[in-house]
Amino acid sequence: MKSKQAQEIMYTRREMMAVALARQIKDGMVCIAGTGLPLIGATLAKLAWAPNSVIISETGIIDGQMDQLPTSVSDTRFAYRASAWWPRYRYCGFIMRMPEKVDLGFLGGAQIDPHGNLNSTCIGDYHRPATRFTGSGGANGIATNVNTVIVMRHERRRFVEKVDYVTSPGWLDGPEGRKRAGLPENKGPVVVVTTLGVMRFDRENRRMYVSEYYPGVSPAEIADQTGFPIDVSRAVEADPPDAGVLELLRKRIDPDHLYI
Amino acid sequence: MISRIMTCKEAIENFVRDGDTVAIGGFTTNRKPYALVREIIRQGRRELYIEGSGAGGETDLLIGAGCVKLMVNAYISNGAFGNIGRRFRRAVERGELEFEDYSLDVQPLRFHAAALGLPFIAVRGLLVESDLERRWGIPAEKYRQDPKLPPAKLLIRENPFNPGEKLVYLPAPRIDVALIHVQKAAHDGTVRIEGPAFVDVDLAMAARHVIVSCEELVDPEELRREPWLNQIPFIIPSACVHLPFGAHPSQCVNHYDYDPEMMHLYDRACRDDELYGRFLDEYVYSLKDHGEYISKIGPDRLGRLKVGEKNYVENLARGNGES
Repeated sequence: MKSKQAQEIMYTRREMMAVALARQIKDGMVCIAGTGLPLIGATLAKLAWAPNSVIISETGIIDGQMDQLPTSVSDTRFAYRASAWWPRYRYCGFIMRMPEKVDLGFLGGAQIDPHGNLNSTCIGDYHRPATRFTGSGGANGIATNVNTVIVMRHERRRFVEKVDYVTSPGWLDGPEGRKRAGLPENKGPVVVVTTLGVMRFDRENRRMYVSEYYPGVSPAEIADQTGFPIDVSRAVEADPPDAGVLELLRKRIDPDHLYI
Repeated sequence: MISRIMTCKEAIENFVRDGDTVAIGGFTTNRKPYALVREIIRQGRRELYIEGSGAGGETDLLIGAGCVKLMVNAYISNGAFGNIGRRFRRAVERGELEFEDYSLDVQPLRFHAAALGLPFIAVRGLLVESDLERRWGIPAEKYRQDPKLPPAKLLIRENPFNPGEKLVYLPAPRIDVALIHVQKAAHDGTVRIEGPAFVDVDLAMAARHVIVSCEELVDPEELRREPWLNQIPFIIPSACVHLPFGAHPSQCVNHYDYDPEMMHLYDRACRDDELYGRFLDEYVYSLKDHGEYISKIGPDRLGRLKVGEKNYVENLARGNGES
């Protein structure tokens, strides 16, 4: 719902992204989130409308009640009043053994293709890359076993027909791809939250389409910043953040501007 | 009773050799055995193989100082203080480091397999590219030839107990030395980790030698009163080194928070070769030992990092992580 008042509120694109991420989380959902925008979005949802949502880190922290923003998934701030902090192999077992307990995992990357395959490893040849990134982290296991929300900067060089390296599997080459590869076939990327809007995947062909564009962005601009043909016919304008949510972001969640 | 106590210098001299496979405990910015790592650099060890998972600045430091030949890893970062190990990045981009990538939910299982004495572990996942075995990681030929590595690379095979299901079989690593920093250890080598254990107990059980550094060196009787709280018994470690603030600039539960000032300094230094050389001189080579390092950081600054009830410093000035 867009009120006249809400439209006059000033906010940054990163704040809009945090809110778009948070909107993917309904009360009671269990999410795996790393630090940065995903954790900010997950924390926002928990404080604003999903008090019973649960945040899990790939270091094995279950249900931290963060009151100060962590800078890494091993930061003790992530574990404040958590239910448990497992040794690492317990998390590995958890995600393979009972992935049905997790509703969403949050991922980020440098490149993404139309089927949501994600590269967070390197640009160029794997063995001798032009640019090397940090590597999978827990992303491959999350993308393999649970539905994912992906955070991306929306640029042509990042939204590409074919990624240089598949760190984390999306729908691979389409509807049958995961089955053929031997991956769980009913799990995969569901949402891509970008600097320009919110993308989703078609149920039939598992290709990305524009679901929402942020206020001030046009569907044509999104298509132009996407390096592959993308369907904009279903796109609607996203609701801007409301004042209460922005206040939570600025005063409670990230007052030091570590990420936003 | 046998004493496992050594100085940091003795422990590294005795148990870390050129070419060893080293595994490092902790996770990115938490309980990283920085003091042990700085001593390895000071002693000029070369051609090390690293088995990592949640690597942080300590592994980046080893790479930046030219100690590392090959790394198997899942992630290297100082979190918001530097979202990639830039010396690692540079070494890969320059072709100076052999490497193989796993995921954070796979490396701990390989360590667990090694700790259990299993030759391999089978996982679901990693099934991304059809020619994964050929295109990715360290060449299979090197696995066959290099005695430091397991005898073969990963294999994608059918599950013999569930025909039709594909699994990825991963060799357990061969670890020569595990480096672990803990809260409490006793003279006899009994270890108590207070706080998250990460992969450390598995590393200790998988390695040929374990070097433990500790915040507090205590009487064995103190730890033996509640043996169920100890993770590593005295018969496992090869050396036990008393190094208060031995995980600085990372966090150590019940003791101190990470040091944002040093994290930001490292992030700036690691972007430039010349700056980096000066950083190594100033914080590693020019200091005789960990005692001098701690004096250099100074009691006031270390005092400000002392954790409170929540196990971090509330409202710690952490600056802008984007810098």
